[in-house]
Amino acid sequence: MEGNTVSPGSGATHEVLLQRLLTDQHDLTAVERFALKHESETAPTQARYYRNLLPTAAPSVGQQYAFEVDLDACTACKACVAACHNLNGLDDGESWRDVGELHDRNRYDGTVQTVTTACHHCLDPACSNGCPVRAYDKDPETGIVHHLDDQCIGCKYCTLTCPYEVPKYNASLGIVRKCDMCAGRLAAGEAPACVQACPNFAIKISVVDHASTLQRAGAGAQSFLPGAPSPDITAPSTVYRSTRALPEGMLAGEDLNLVPSEAHPPLVAMLILTQLSVGLVAVERLSAWTGTPTATPATLLSAAALACALGLAASTAHLGRPLYAFRALLGLRTSWLSREILAFGVYFACVLGAAVSANGLANGLADGLADAALVAGIAALMTSVMVYHATKREMWNAARTASRFALTAGALGALAAVTIAVMQATPGTQAAPVRSLASVAAALCFAKLCCDRIQANPDADPDSVRSRSSALLGGPLRAIVYARWALGLIVVLSLAVMVEVGTNPVFAVTVFLLALAGEVLERNLFFRACTKQSMPGSGS
Amino acid sequence: MSGLRLYEPNGELTSLLGRVDGGFGVGQVPRDKQPDATTTTVCGFCSTGCGLRIHLRNGEAVGLTPATEYPVNLGMACPKGWESLAVLDSDGRATSPLIKDADGIQRPVSWDIAMRTMTERFRAAQTIHGAESVAFLSTGQITCEDMAALGVLAKFSMGMVHGDGNTRQCMATSVAAYKESFGFDAPPYAYEDFEESDLIVLVGSNLCIAHPILWERVLRNRRNARVIVIDPRRTETAAAADEHIALKPKGDLALFYAIAHELIRNDWLDHDFLAQHTTDFVGFSRLVERYAPASVEERTGLSADIIEGLARTIHDAERASFWWTMGVNQSHEGTRAAQAIINIALLTGNIGRPGTGANSITGQCNAMGSRLFSNTTNLIGGHAFDSAAHRNKVASILEIDEARIQQKPGLAYDEILNGVRAGKIRALWIIATNTAHSWIGRGDVRDVLAKLDFLVVQDMYRTTETAEVADLVLPAAGWGEKEGTFISSDRRITVTKKVKRAPGQALSDFSIFKLAAAYWGDGALPAHWATPEDVFTDLKRLSAGQPCDITGIEGYRMLDERGGIQWPYPTDCDDEATERRLFADGRFYHRDGRAKFCYEDVRDAPDATNERFPLVFLTGRGSAAQWHTLTRTGKSAILRKLAPREPLLTMHPSDARLRGLRERDEVEIASRHGRTRVRLSLSASVGIGQVFLPMHWTQANEVTVPVFDPYSRQPSYKATAVQVKQARKARKAAKP
Repeated sequence: MEGNTVSPGSGATHEVLLQRLLTDQHDLTAVERFALKHESETAPTQARYYRNLLPTAAPSVGQQYAFEVDLDACTACKACVAACHNLNGLDDGESWRDVGELHDRNRYDGTVQTVTTACHHCLDPACSNGCPVRAYDKDPETGIVHHLDDQCIGCKYCTLTCPYEVPKYNASLGIVRKCDMCAGRLAAGEAPACVQACPNFAIKISVVDHASTLQRAGAGAQSFLPGAPSPDITAPSTVYRSTRALPEGMLAGEDLNLVPSEAHPPLVAMLILTQLSVGLVAVERLSAWTGTPTATPATLLSAAALACALGLAASTAHLGRPLYAFRALLGLRTSWLSREILAFGVYFACVLGAAVSANGLANGLADGLADAALVAGIAALMTSVMVYHATKREMWNAARTASRFALTAGALGALAAVTIAVMQATPGTQAAPVRSLASVAAALCFAKLCCDRIQANPDADPDSVRSRSSALLGGPLRAIVYARWALGLIVVLSLAVMVEVGTNPVFAVTVFLLALAGEVLERNLFFRACTKQSMPGSGS
Repeated sequence: MSGLRLYEPNGELTSLLGRVDGGFGVGQVPRDKQPDATTTTVCGFCSTGCGLRIHLRNGEAVGLTPATEYPVNLGMACPKGWESLAVLDSDGRATSPLIKDADGIQRPVSWDIAMRTMTERFRAAQTIHGAESVAFLSTGQITCEDMAALGVLAKFSMGMVHGDGNTRQCMATSVAAYKESFGFDAPPYAYEDFEESDLIVLVGSNLCIAHPILWERVLRNRRNARVIVIDPRRTETAAAADEHIALKPKGDLALFYAIAHELIRNDWLDHDFLAQHTTDFVGFSRLVERYAPASVEERTGLSADIIEGLARTIHDAERASFWWTMGVNQSHEGTRAAQAIINIALLTGNIGRPGTGANSITGQCNAMGSRLFSNTTNLIGGHAFDSAAHRNKVASILEIDEARIQQKPGLAYDEILNGVRAGKIRALWIIATNTAHSWIGRGDVRDVLAKLDFLVVQDMYRTTETAEVADLVLPAAGWGEKEGTFISSDRRITVTKKVKRAPGQALSDFSIFKLAAAYWGDGALPAHWATPEDVFTDLKRLSAGQPCDITGIEGYRMLDERGGIQWPYPTDCDDEATERRLFADGRFYHRDGRAKFCYEDVRDAPDATNERFPLVFLTGRGSAAQWHTLTRTGKSAILRKLAPREPLLTMHPSDARLRGLRERDEVEIASRHGRTRVRLSLSASVGIGQVFLPMHWTQANEVTVPVFDPYSRQPSYKATAVQVKQARKARKAAKP
């Protein structure tokens, strides 16, 4: 079609009308013709509907407030979510309440239960326990778990420790925020936003006994919400009621979606580099103790210190508010993250000291400091394992995580030592010890690949956490898996060539970088393929 | 920054979430959204017509809460209502007229150029191809006054003969059914009837998702009612009901005839009512003799026992109410199915009393207004084009020449598109609807629209699938940015107010029509229509003497103060109840005052399943956070979060196993009309042999086959024969 525009002409004829219409359009006084409420009414008018949804008395000792949800009345209108967002002035797309679905596992009886869910104000809140800066506060009287927004450094660890994925990271503010049960409203005798807004009165606030909550927590998911993460972890206070018997082992709608989890690149870098660092120290110590010379201790220790420094620097990139990272030791009493930070601090001091000493400044101290660094490094590595184990996610349990982390440390440490040794050696004089270290590195790299492969296995239940993780690896994450395998196999073969044929610095550095890249991909998969049992609505 | 303290339990970030008492009885509100006044308006999404309390500061909306005392929603709203204001702020808003240039790119132009272009192009088309070559497609989303202005301008001044609305897609069947059965398009109920029933039968209606606030009213039932859902799918509503009758798709007409058969066979009839208030019961009973429950088992997928049980349950209830939505309306025999429901209410005397009725629940916020005042199917005011008396009345009230009123109704939506296809209609004006997404068999629709010489799309958003292909886009103000009235499902006339400034050069639809009228020429709209309320005054006068008489309403202020007023409200009306139902006196709107039994034999669905297309493809509402083609709801981050991220086709696990399909597989859906790709979700919420895809995604109408009810011309969106295959295999098979 040719252009549509008319030829220019005199446009003045209707200009007056147009201007009047545009002015009218922007004039908002029309509303004043109607009854406007200007005078302040004291009591909230909605109270007539929610009065019965609030407890008559405040909790006494051994009690706390809890959400009580009538599942029979929850029919997926999701008004609670929209009201939470609007009445609390949250950012775009932000809400403290979600609505999700539970599906019957075999999908043959067509049962779908919609579930409204918010913070469960747990008796043993994992968000708070994991927080390295004590940015959580469980009110001793109401039991409400408050997040202290100004105390938060944005480490997001609570988003991993909370089994229900309640704390939500707000990227524009660099902190996590979460539901406070509208504590200010409760204090003023008003109902929380979600309670006010449910057309079906499905949500109310009740007072629960700690003892009975703990008892329910010990009785398994069915006593809390079928298919939900086990209440045993945190003793959630929310009470879900239903007159319909919901089948056991239902699946959250989220668990039907094959959506990879977040990748956390700074954490990938931090884990890989700190493990490389500890691995280097281990190689240096082993060669010192066994009297097998590889590279010079000073270089190995310096490299270890450098890797650790880079790793720790990378970890601060993970923080929403890195300026406040100095608060990170406040949580030592309960938080493995605080402990990890402390342990790596100590380790870094030791390895730096050892490196400085070994470089001739205080040679006599080098051995002692390197021993200390090894001990601190292994301890720190263990705290890294515990950071993930403490999330109680099956994919990150101690055995799985420890084997990955230890093999990364060993493989990368050995390979880095080989590379340094090759760079230091005069051409043509490949020492036997380097070759044997290269074969150790090859064995460790191969072991790492085997470990990855074994951990990727599904189990018999196609809907289990492990099978879903496996499906992610075979589905949306397939390309990364292939790349990781390609890199891993090239590295192992190249190491074999090094052992059998020999090498040169360029080749060695290339192999090391490929191995490093392979581990980065592996660690990316560690995060992204970490499936868990979802709370319905947590993925929305 | 307040210094780098080691422990900072309170500070700036904490105060971001501070709440204060908002006053005006609204309770605590976010600190930065404290109002200095509040006012009530009515939601602009669906036909429920919920009252929303707008929080104003300096005259502009800063927030909203559901209106506590409003007689419809009783202090509640669904997520769409809560997010009504949020969707107004969007990059997708049209902020100036856009004209497609020679390169096919839409570029901003002045209103003057836009209006002169439209006028010239419309006139040019009419000069060459005749008056009928320009038509319009309107909507149930604009106010009665907007609709009236458009209808009068287009038909009485611009000379257009054909204009229809998207209400054709949702309501036309109920209109046709009521008109023939009752003598006027008159949904008889008040929402209170949900609360007053002993038995609530929901037919093809997923109330929990489509009308959440009406489900609220079901839960407020005071008589411990039994709720029965008749629907092929186990919907959210079916799951929440006492009983789910999973009938086969399009088994509804046979089912209701079989129920009527049982009622008559057992003499479970209200003989007095039948004798005094109905006609042609004999003919109807003769027809349903052929529909014994056992004879419809195959067609309905229900055993005779279940059907007999249903009849007994209806008989046993002192007050039974029957409610239907799109499952009935969108069918090849929807009018007869709706009338079959009406017939059951008539047989059992379940009409005119509290808690009873044959009740159609509407879709859009002003579909009911469109039925009365759009001047499309009916002559404005619920009149008939083919009645000389009606034409005379309308002409004298609007002070126009009676000869300008056409004497026959114009074409329906599908016929207008056929006219475009045939080259008879050359220019089209689409207002606030998304034809390129929502029309049945949409792949074809895009080709049809491309045939037009000139396509004008008037919309809030320049990003709809239809606006994007327009030659001219007119930027419209939306709900909340203009004033006027809506009529909700329960015949309630309500006021919606201007509480936000429209972006850029966007104008209210009413202003756009006034501007268009000015460019078209003198007197294209009645001179006394300066404001929407002036139009309303004429709408009242037009309603005089009609069943929908609202001459007793003084004006907007009265509507506002009363929380809306249901029609009829004639001048002498002394019934001030906030909820009123029709037919308490048993007098219907036919000349003889009786309701008419309307019936016809059951017909097979035209797009039947066979070996190649063995599955029945159903469509419907997907979630309470989604509205129609997502034009508005897609603009709210919260509503997006509350909706599925991608279209998922629901299939029964047995059908999936048969095809070797697994959860989340990418599949191809193919029908006789088109094909599309989506991912699969397995659930026994759909029956074996059926699949379901929410209508909000463009994929749905790639597949649907244009089939229509012959009386209402409403598309049958819910019975397309399809095949579903693994997308990979379909791709391979497609390669020679």
